[in-house]
Amino acid sequence: MRTRLLVGITTATLVLGIAGCGSKGATPDSSTAPGTLTLGASLSLTGAQAREGILTKEGYEVCKTVVNGKGGVPVGGKKLLLDIGYQDDTSKPDIAAQLVDQFNDKGVKLILGPYGSATTGAAAAVVERNRQVMADSSGADDTIFTKGYTRTFAVLSPATSYAASMVQALFDLANPRPKTIAFVSADDGFSKTVTNGGVARAQQLGFTVVATEYVPNGTTDVSSALTKIKPKHPDVIVSSAHLAEGVALVKQAHELGINPSGGFAETVAPPTPDFVQTLGQAADGVIGSTQWTDLTAGSDKWFGTAKDYDATFAAQFNGRAPEYHGAEATAACLALVLAVEKAGSVDPDKVREALAALDEQSFFGPIRFNPMGQNTTKTMGVIQIQNGKPVSVWPKDSSKAALIWPGNRS
Amino acid sequence: MSQFLQVTLYGLLQGGILALVAVGFSLVWGVLNVVNLAHGAFVLGGAYVAFELHAWLGLDPFLGMVPAALVLFAIGYLIQRFVVNLVVNAPIFITLLLTFGLQLIAVNGMNLAFTANYRAIPVGYAAQALTLPGGVRLPVGRLVAALLAVGVTLALGYVMRRTRTGLSILATGMDRGAARLMGIKATHVYALTFGIAAALAGAAGAAVGAVGTFSPADAGRFTLFSFVAAVLGGLGTMSGALYGGLLLGLAEAWGGQLLPGTLVNAVAFAVLVLVLALRPRGIAGRAFYAARVEA
Repeated sequence: MRTRLLVGITTATLVLGIAGCGSKGATPDSSTAPGTLTLGASLSLTGAQAREGILTKEGYEVCKTVVNGKGGVPVGGKKLLLDIGYQDDTSKPDIAAQLVDQFNDKGVKLILGPYGSATTGAAAAVVERNRQVMADSSGADDTIFTKGYTRTFAVLSPATSYAASMVQALFDLANPRPKTIAFVSADDGFSKTVTNGGVARAQQLGFTVVATEYVPNGTTDVSSALTKIKPKHPDVIVSSAHLAEGVALVKQAHELGINPSGGFAETVAPPTPDFVQTLGQAADGVIGSTQWTDLTAGSDKWFGTAKDYDATFAAQFNGRAPEYHGAEATAACLALVLAVEKAGSVDPDKVREALAALDEQSFFGPIRFNPMGQNTTKTMGVIQIQNGKPVSVWPKDSSKAALIWPGNRS
Repeated sequence: MSQFLQVTLYGLLQGGILALVAVGFSLVWGVLNVVNLAHGAFVLGGAYVAFELHAWLGLDPFLGMVPAALVLFAIGYLIQRFVVNLVVNAPIFITLLLTFGLQLIAVNGMNLAFTANYRAIPVGYAAQALTLPGGVRLPVGRLVAALLAVGVTLALGYVMRRTRTGLSILATGMDRGAARLMGIKATHVYALTFGIAAALAGAAGAAVGAVGTFSPADAGRFTLFSFVAAVLGGLGTMSGALYGGLLLGLAEAWGGQLLPGTLVNAVAFAVLVLVLALRPRGIAGRAFYAARVEA
């Protein structure tokens, strides 16, 4: 009896512990000193998305350094220095929402987005209610933008174009062109939207989609999806997943003897350095999609071109090259800076108007929002891992090398 | 048919690794009556030790299991002796809180020390596979890990039943008061048990690093797996965690085939509920653990 009680209590504690607990960071002093423009950012500094959260923070920090290095944001005749208050949402949407609310209580109306679609979605609802304004750096799920929000603006391309751009690249570049595609998707909202976009594009371009399998978000075991796909012998396996699932897919496919003739295409995992580090040679030939590369066309007065941004970032972080998480974060911060400058005011309503009307070129590509707040003018890039490095292969005008095809040479 | 065999085989191999992850958790629960929520952090600790040894010395992760186990044994022994022992007689909630706190400290410490990056210990042969008749593939890394798991569990069972140290651990687990009267030093035995459990977790971590990926955020997942496997199998018995791990692996593999893949975790917990309802002691649980004398 005692054991049964113990089991019950412990189950409850474990579930509660995993769902609800976490640590919050120290409270920053967000009092807006004269001559300072304070932005608030709730970020995944710990928890499941700590890795990406920290990359996002680096992007925000680059923006702060560059803008303050050039004297600050010109607003109505004087210059305001940028100050960013960070709070740790422990990768949990409800905490992100609370933190954005707390920023509002402290008078911080201009918000930089959290990492990921789930946290961004939760924050967007609060931003709308509090009449704050949010520049979204990484929440790409289209569902965030179907709720009629008017105060959240995403600088990045929407989720539907992540897998679709890779399918399009295969259609444009692969010779011989593959015929059949299998999709493997994580089961979170963002990944599902990505997959739906990819499947739709594949069917539209005349590919046969032989399977669409879902795996739990964040799992390191995708073997059940792979064994289901194996008998269908797809030419290419396209996956919409994060790093953990993406690495598992390549590793376990190898273990299970699944060798699609065209290889693998995975959305966000391949451009991150961890992908090559964990997979080694097995990563070669894998295709990925990216919001940004250092060949992205366009420039702006704060950061210059994508190449210039590369150098700025490397100077700030020990020579490390930026990847798209950092760039999209800097671009979100840039959008707010440009809007404040154009509005000539830090009043949230005026900044919102300026953001909605923004039409600028930047190191991140064009920044222009549709009425829903999405940046649909920008195209995604497609990369391929070649000799252990992600290399841009599509679109052709900003590519560094030709697509190596077929991607699978084992 | 070969698809079914493949799924079963892969599930068993996966289950073997889960068993090795869970066996120390089950041991501590059975002997100390402490549900160690920091167990997953021990697993990751072992994975990082093996990772660093591989990075610096090129040591194979399966050989790295030994140093990983030794390091974790020392950590586990000290943590029990000087921290957990303070509350070992306290109500279950206190030990839960303490070990949960330890897990938070360990996970965030690992975040600082090793960053939140995903890691894997790249060994070429681990991803190779033997092809059996019918096209069924037998991945080498997972096979080695699963065989080691079974071997370690059997060896631990032998140590517990056949050596003085093992018997004194079991005796203390059954009735601490009586064990003390027989001249057994309970504090030492408890610390030893906790150390052995941490060592097993460390060895499991090295195996996990060789066949999969890990990052500090995985600690909670490993604790949860251990909990489910330990309860499924029956508390305190070495073989219980083994059966529990294998059943969990099989349930996830078959569940993933028969149902949409996203329900895999639900299947694992459904099996847990079913076993608890039909056989609350777990598959291999023994009656005397339920009837033990609490000091």
